[in-house]
Amino acid sequence: MKNRRSARLPAKLSPTRRDESAAQGIWSGTISFSLVAIPVQLVKAVEPGRVPFRMLHSRDYSPLLRRMVCPKEGKIVPPDEIIRGYEIGPDKYILITDEELEAVSPERSRTIEIVEFIDMADVDSIYYDHPYYLVPAKGGEKAYRLLVEVMRRTKKAGLAKFVLGEREYLVAVKSSEGALALITLHYREEILSDEEIVPEEGTIDAEEKSRLKKIIEGMTADFNPDKYADERRNKMTKLLRKIAKKRAPVEAPEVEEAEGEGPVDLIAALEESMRKVKKNR
Amino acid sequence: MAGRAIWKGYIHFGGFDVSVKLHPAVKEERIQFHLLHRRDHIKLKQQMVCAYEKVPVPTEEQTRGLELEKGKYLLVDPAELEQVEPEESRIIEVHEFVKTEQIDPVFLDRVYYLEPGVPSKGYNALAGALRDMDVAGICTWTMRKRSYLGALQMSGKILRLNTLRYADEVISVKSLELQEIPLAEKELKIGSDLINQLTAPFQPQKFENEHQKKLQQLIDKKARGEKIAILRPRRLKPTTSDKLLQTLEASLKKVA
Repeated sequence: MKNRRSARLPAKLSPTRRDESAAQGIWSGTISFSLVAIPVQLVKAVEPGRVPFRMLHSRDYSPLLRRMVCPKEGKIVPPDEIIRGYEIGPDKYILITDEELEAVSPERSRTIEIVEFIDMADVDSIYYDHPYYLVPAKGGEKAYRLLVEVMRRTKKAGLAKFVLGEREYLVAVKSSEGALALITLHYREEILSDEEIVPEEGTIDAEEKSRLKKIIEGMTADFNPDKYADERRNKMTKLLRKIAKKRAPVEAPEVEEAEGEGPVDLIAALEESMRKVKKNR
Repeated sequence: MAGRAIWKGYIHFGGFDVSVKLHPAVKEERIQFHLLHRRDHIKLKQQMVCAYEKVPVPTEEQTRGLELEKGKYLLVDPAELEQVEPEESRIIEVHEFVKTEQIDPVFLDRVYYLEPGVPSKGYNALAGALRDMDVAGICTWTMRKRSYLGALQMSGKILRLNTLRYADEVISVKSLELQEIPLAEKELKIGSDLINQLTAPFQPQKFENEHQKKLQQLIDKKARGEKIAILRPRRLKPTTSDKLLQTLEASLKKVA
């Protein structure tokens, strides 16, 4: 384990949670190809490695929670009093319920149907959006293992669309070290054209190019991501450790457990979890 | 059209420099909803509220802390952290080159187009060399007070810079604790045949965001006061392990 040094620190000071079980599912449903259906859960594949600061109230050191607040009353609005609205004019909204939203594409909201298989090498990396893993749910273990193994052998990935919350995702499902990795892809229309900024078609200076190739050759190695650490995060952790030695922590008042970081509602929570990972990029 | 340039810098390695401008390469457009108070349809705002007092907390009463143990926080002044902020620099420093195929997609984060900063032969020579060798440059740079790790790649006619995630930001497959389950060679053979039968070239233009259109139709319908039929999401019956071979055979028959 690389982070042995930080083992003595409070768990939370170590910013990444690499070894923590990733089992908190973002979504559960079925992945299918042809007639085979596999119950699965969608889980995170990446965790932004930020130092996990919390915002506190400077008066009582109580942690702050993100909540929906009515600006008129200045009060927290509980989840069951919240509804989704689409703005059609100033202060005019069309109300949309969760059930209506799920009914938009009912065939895709609980099923990731692989419609075809592709060669992953054909996918330009510009399409890659965000990675996740799929893990098998009860009863799906064998079919899951089969799909992992045959995609590994054939070097193919499955293409599918599925709906989560307010969005429909185009995804590639591929075999990755014995697991199914799911990568959301951008739609064609989301890729911006590079036409206006491509360099002028000039002749390539052959001498300069071969000189560069020699330099590049001398600098070529195997890709080893472990070599590159987030220097800033390491420095920050060191600094915080120093501060922790000098300064006593403050104590927050006790709050009932029920008031934890509860989701506003299910769909919003799903959306939020997708959005959060995106925002942190 | 590519987005506006967001940053300017120099690619630098082994005595070679070329100036570039970063442009976003992807833009997402989505239908936006607001969250409303069910009673009076007032638009709600997301705010930080005190977990103890249950009241919204203005920015000037918010402070940053790090939880050392349950309920105990180390207060940290943002000014204290300034010393670890990366130094401003315009250099995208390439440390080494790797075969492009070695970079697992899980590491790829954001992508930028690189426009030549000034018309230069260097840009075209570098682009040509990367294309010929099918390699990507692993590089680091500082942009807007943040340090980045990235892969410099050639694609089409333009250089691209893809930000990379750090290794410890990727959750390992091992932590998923997946079960090893033995499979019969026959199952694997039929499964592979099935996949090969279902293989097609990747044609991204084939896939439209239909859902977005249907969502717009739903909104329009409701705006006209029409009733919305509620359809239950489709749920498939899982293929159990004793039915797997049979299901694969039936699938293959269907597509063959």
